[in-house]
This record gives sequence, C-alpha cells and structure tokens, in this order.
Amino acid sequence: MTSRLDHSLKLQIPFPDAKDAQVALRVLEPDPVLRPEDFQCSYTNIGNVLEVHFRSVDDRSLRVGVSNVIDSIKTIIEAIDELA
Amino acid sequence: MSSLPFASYSAPDVQKSFTVDAANPRYQSTDGSTTGPSPHVLNAGQIDRDKPAPPRTNPDGQMTALGSLRAHLTGLQDDINHFLTDRMEQAKRKRARVQSEEQNNSVDHNEATKY
Repeated sequence: MTSRLDHSLKLQIPFPDAKDAQVALRVLEPDPVLRPEDFQCSYTNIGNVLEVHFRSVDDRSLRVGVSNVIDSIKTIIEAIDELA
Repeated sequence: MSSLPFASYSAPDVQKSFTVDAANPRYQSTDGSTTGPSPHVLNAGQIDRDKPAPPRTNPDGQMTALGSLRAHLTGLQDDINHFLTDRMEQAKRKRARVQSEEQNNSVDHNEATKY
C-alpha cells in the first residue's frame, strides 16, 4: 500500500544573510528521515530564505516532524549567532 | 518577500497560514510554551536544565538579528504545535464517535436478527 502524504506544511525562514541560509541547509540535509513512508521533508534555499517543505500521512506525524526540524533550525541559528 | 518567518499548512479539508507579529511578546522569547517540559513535570519538582538560552543581544541591549529570528521561530513553532494538537484532538473525537456509532449499529443489527 502506498501512503498518501496529503498533509503538508511549507515553512519559509528569511535569514539576515544568504550565507547563513545556505549553512543551515547544508547542516539539515544529511539528517535521515526515520519513517519516509509516513513523513518526508525537503529543503531549498532561495537567496537568504530557507524553505522547508514537509509532507505527512497525518497531523500527528507532521507535528512531531515539523517541531523537531524547527528545534534543529533554532539550534543552528543559535550556533551561527554565537560563533559569528 | 517578507523578512519574517512564514508557514502555510494544507490538508484535504483545510488550509491555514501562520504569520509572525514581531511586536507581540509571544514572538520575542525563545522559551516556547510547547517545547519545554509539561506543567505536570514541572509541578512535580523537576528543574528544566535544557531551557533554551535567551536571544543574544548586542552591547546596546537590542536582540541580534539571529536572536530575533530564533524568537520569531519559537512563537511560530508554538502556533503550529497548538494548531496541529487541536487537529489531532478533533480527529480522535471523530474516531471515537464513529466507533461508538458502529457499535450501536452492530448491536441494533444483532437485536434485529435475534427475532
């Protein structure tokens, strides 16, 4: 049976600097998704904006996945800010 | 394009946008309401040692651009978490209602076939 990933969320994060958005993208991309049949996410970087597209089978998986990725993004932002 | 984070949700039955109001204190803190320990755990005496650091500030006391972005994201994350938690509760109530209706139908059917 193929899952229908019909619950989606698109997140746009404008960084102050295009370089920071690209750093965030490169840090996030290697993270594997544990259950790709239930939840998937993809990252793109347009100028200074990091765009994350989440797709999921239901709201529960979406909530867990989205909140985890946002936690990671906040950690990346804090690290860039502290090391700047 | 806006300089504030933005999110849009889409499901077969509903669509919703999430925006940040930079003037609202909700989007000026890194201490989110949905990302720390639950009130139950805190009331039991647990100390939150993983509490996020406050947004970084410049020597003049203003938040740095990245500190401010982290605070904006924390508020947006709370909005998304609250919305999706409500949707999960709605789905749970709907499932319970359908199950109870199915059970009633099955009892009616059994009663009807008994005689």
